Amino acid sequence: MTKSSKEFTRLDICNRFLSSVRHSVVLGLEVVSAEEMQVRVRMPWREDLVGNPETGVMHGGAIFAMMDQAGGMAITCRTFPTFEITPTIDFRVDHLRGPAKGAAVICEASCYRLTTHVAFVRITTWEEGNDAEPIATGLATYTRMQIDSAGKVVA
Amino acid sequence: MKTLKTLIDQCRNGEATYQELVDHVPYARFLGIQVIPQGEELTFVLPKQDNVVGNPTLPALHGGAVAGFMEQAAIIFILLQMGEPRVPKTIDFTIDYLRAGLFRDTFAECRITRLGRRIANVHISAWQKQRDEPITIARAHFLLSEENSDQDSQLA
Repeated sequence: MTKSSKEFTRLDICNRFLSSVRHSVVLGLEVVSAEEMQVRVRMPWREDLVGNPETGVMHGGAIFAMMDQAGGMAITCRTFPTFEITPTIDFRVDHLRGPAKGAAVICEASCYRLTTHVAFVRITTWEEGNDAEPIATGLATYTRMQIDSAGKVVA
Repeated sequence: MKTLKTLIDQCRNGEATYQELVDHVPYARFLGIQVIPQGEELTFVLPKQDNVVGNPTLPALHGGAVAGFMEQAAIIFILLQMGEPRVPKTIDFTIDYLRAGLFRDTFAECRITRLGRRIANVHISAWQKQRDEPITIARAHFLLSEENSDQDSQLA
């Protein structure tokens, strides 16, 4: 580990990653915690993210985007202190129940297997304060693209 | 605000535009989704705009924004097929990313594989340059009705 890498924690890297992704910033995502095997992300409820105006339930697409972003950061936490670009290969989300109107949602993503080229990630999402009853679960794979010392992406 | 059923009836007999139906959903407005009717077919558009960018250096679209766009396209598409329209609930959504989503307009079309009484199975394809070079394909199940069932788990 180099000297400079010691100055940055996983939380720092995740925050920097998140703040560079415009869509995630616009969604209002926040990194709650970042450890080697799990990262937690929070998304506050917002009127303009509602999918069904009659119920006020947040759109599945907004929840998906949060989980996809959290999945990417889960890999960042595993590859730390190296940062890699990791495009999503495939992603499945199951919506177990609708989150209540007004409730923020939290998701926890874990990169449970990292191979040379592929990262396997699972994600669980719940309403803030109720982690016993998940609202959504996700399973995803990402491909790893290393960045060389010149800053170029290497497949 | 018009009820959903009124709005859909009006869309069907040409008194309202499909865009009004899309704009009924806050998240669809957030993404800026547009709809282009061509005869009886619908093409959905995710116009390029800063808010849907993921990687800013490439720049590439955020995969989550593309997924949300496709999910919403499918919901509108199903709504227009339902006799008694109620907003379908997404049961599951599975997406394959085939090509990078560049910073340009993205289009999507939907195909209902099976429209059951309770569950719909929909295939969604999204492209940028050419329809036969999709950037993503997705498959999703939606719950249409919860009649005769108090629990979401009793799907069959």
